[in-house]
Amino acid sequence: MLVYLVKRLFQLVPTFIGATMLMFLISQLVPGDFFKAKELEPNVRPETIQRMRAEFGLDKPVYVQYVTWMKNLAVGNLGQSFVSNQPVWQRIANPMRNSMYLALLSLVLLWAVSVPAGVYSAVRQYSVGDQTVSILSYLGLATPNFFLAQVIILALFLLRTLTKDWFGYNQLIFPVAGMTSSNYLSLTPFGKFLDVMWHMLIPSLVVATSGMAGFTRVLRAQMIEYLGSDFIRTARAKGIGNTKVTYKHALRPAIIPFVAGIGSVLPGLVGGAGLVEVVMSWPGITPTFLTALSSQDIYVVLGLLVITTILLMFGNVLSDLLLAAVDPRIRYS
Amino acid sequence: MTDRNDEKMAPENEGPNFEGAGLHGDEPTTQQDEASFERQAGPLLTRESKSQGRIVWEQFRRHKAALIGGWILVFMYLTAIFAGFLAPYGINEYRRSPAAAFRPPTQIHWTDPDTGKLTRPFVYDVVESRDPITRQRVYEDVTDTRYPIKFFVHRPSQPYKVLGLFKSDLHLFGVDDPARIFLWGSNNLGKDLFSRVLFGGQVSLTIGILAVWVAFFLGLLLGGIAGFYGGFVDDLIMRLVEVFAAIPGLFLLIVLSSLLRDPNNPLAKAFGLQMTSAQTFLLTVVVLGFVGWGGLARIIRSLILSARELDYAAAAKALGASETRVLWRHLLPSTASYVIVDLTLSIPGFILAETGLSFLGLGPSELDTASWGLLLRDATSRGISIQFVPWLLIPGIPILFAVLCWNLLGDGLRDAFDPKKRR
Repeated sequence: MLVYLVKRLFQLVPTFIGATMLMFLISQLVPGDFFKAKELEPNVRPETIQRMRAEFGLDKPVYVQYVTWMKNLAVGNLGQSFVSNQPVWQRIANPMRNSMYLALLSLVLLWAVSVPAGVYSAVRQYSVGDQTVSILSYLGLATPNFFLAQVIILALFLLRTLTKDWFGYNQLIFPVAGMTSSNYLSLTPFGKFLDVMWHMLIPSLVVATSGMAGFTRVLRAQMIEYLGSDFIRTARAKGIGNTKVTYKHALRPAIIPFVAGIGSVLPGLVGGAGLVEVVMSWPGITPTFLTALSSQDIYVVLGLLVITTILLMFGNVLSDLLLAAVDPRIRYS
Repeated sequence: MTDRNDEKMAPENEGPNFEGAGLHGDEPTTQQDEASFERQAGPLLTRESKSQGRIVWEQFRRHKAALIGGWILVFMYLTAIFAGFLAPYGINEYRRSPAAAFRPPTQIHWTDPDTGKLTRPFVYDVVESRDPITRQRVYEDVTDTRYPIKFFVHRPSQPYKVLGLFKSDLHLFGVDDPARIFLWGSNNLGKDLFSRVLFGGQVSLTIGILAVWVAFFLGLLLGGIAGFYGGFVDDLIMRLVEVFAAIPGLFLLIVLSSLLRDPNNPLAKAFGLQMTSAQTFLLTVVVLGFVGWGGLARIIRSLILSARELDYAAAAKALGASETRVLWRHLLPSTASYVIVDLTLSIPGFILAETGLSFLGLGPSELDTASWGLLLRDATSRGISIQFVPWLLIPGIPILFAVLCWNLLGDGLRDAFDPKKRR
């Protein structure tokens, strides 16, 4: 197992180098750079710009820039942000943490909804409930996340008019933007936690929808396949109860691919939360990425790309390890 | 990520299709057996053996949901083709004064308000004012004049072309100025949302199909080469796929499309491109396809790797067929059923990706095209409270339908090709 792990990690090195080269190459497609815009400002002297360029090494050829950047990366230095003039790490740490919160909660929601729904659909195949789940999951797969977020925001506003008319409650039930309330700083630690959770619920639900839809459908198919197999009949013949057969004998093997999927879901959600973060003004990675891109803050862009790439690659390794851990048929030696 | 991984994942995800693809190889022999059996048994058992295509079609026809999905898609593509005729207004047509910004959907009156009897449908002109307290826009009908809805009106100021060939200025319906008919309301500039959704379909519905072809071409070429030649070429291509897969797709899409659409970028300069709408459209197609080919290449490679070892490939080689012939005549066709299904099922993904990019303003440019994602962008622009202009969310519904129907169609095709699911 350990040998396998080391081998896998070594295999990541060329992929990682290739990916960073590709990123750097793409970043060079930008015409001009951050300082090009500075040149147009009358109150910035050309010498200053020259000095700053030299400081960032932008006056050197591309491959030298790449090597310098990689060297810095090797010691954990992602460079300096042009715009906020602070280390890239500091610039992206908070957005990454915020996106991570969102990803974790949506992962929990994903499992909490999909597993019961998938099992129910498989056990009560072709029932009304199964068909409802099936239709909902088709819809969930077809709705773009950002559109769903917009619709939910509209629904919350309409709900407010209703609650205002009926109960005189003129507040939104869930906040539609941001991560904290205006009185956040005055809250107790537990209150802060609740406040963030309250803000997180809708965006993470939206992020989880397409995943839920896919998960439920595949789990249903897997369950149906296992429920029809010989060992289930054997179990039933031995007199094991229905619940135990369903949850212990059928669900366990059916759920294996999803356990393995956790590794790949985590970085996927960080990247995939994308447009929802934009619509709901969640201070996460994607808005940061878009701002950095439009202001040509190239090291922030590269930093975010590198971090998410590393997450993705390790996520894949993690999936394989998890798969080996939960599936006795797979052994890496 | 490694070869082992491919072989492990493939049967798990694509199990049934995997076998479906292999079936092509067995097909001729079973038919031959059947034929010889019939010859022995005499006319009693004579039964025409069905071709593979026929079987698939018959299976597909029984798939109700897929059929419905298919017909809705046909309808949607027809509306996109004839968008110019169906739309009462041009794609960017708006009036400066009096502006008709943020008009809610126009109410069509079917009955005569005086007598209460059915009459020719008509609309009223609308005046706009501000509520003195809430400062929201308030609209009021001007009931003095009725403007009947006219059918088949010529509007020389708004010509259009069908499929880029037939020029016309005939519109299905319209009303006389100064009244306006906004079936689905209007946006901040007073552009008709109904017309724009129709025109938007031209972009959003085709971009998925075109991007799939780009991805298909790259995936088939590189995956085919990797699987067939193996060795160093295989390693090289598969590492390349891994490199692409390692970078999060959304970010790669965003970076590529935002950088490439800058008119000063090196590529555009090299080819002397001015970024017109058509070119941003093509650019989006290429970027989408470029980011999406990896998965397909990987799958085709593993299909070919397994098919290469099958008897019929060895037989073809033994008969003296060249490597290229074996690849193109025997191996690639055996992946056909899988590829058709996979392509159909990746179109919705590309449609979603395009609307997402457009939503960020990174898709086809706004100048003389519209895309559903771009239209949804209007609903989140600064200073808009969605509860007062809910109709701006309408463009999301066709996205939902298009993606849903492509998914249904793809699922239907997959079941039809799958011999395990024959009904």
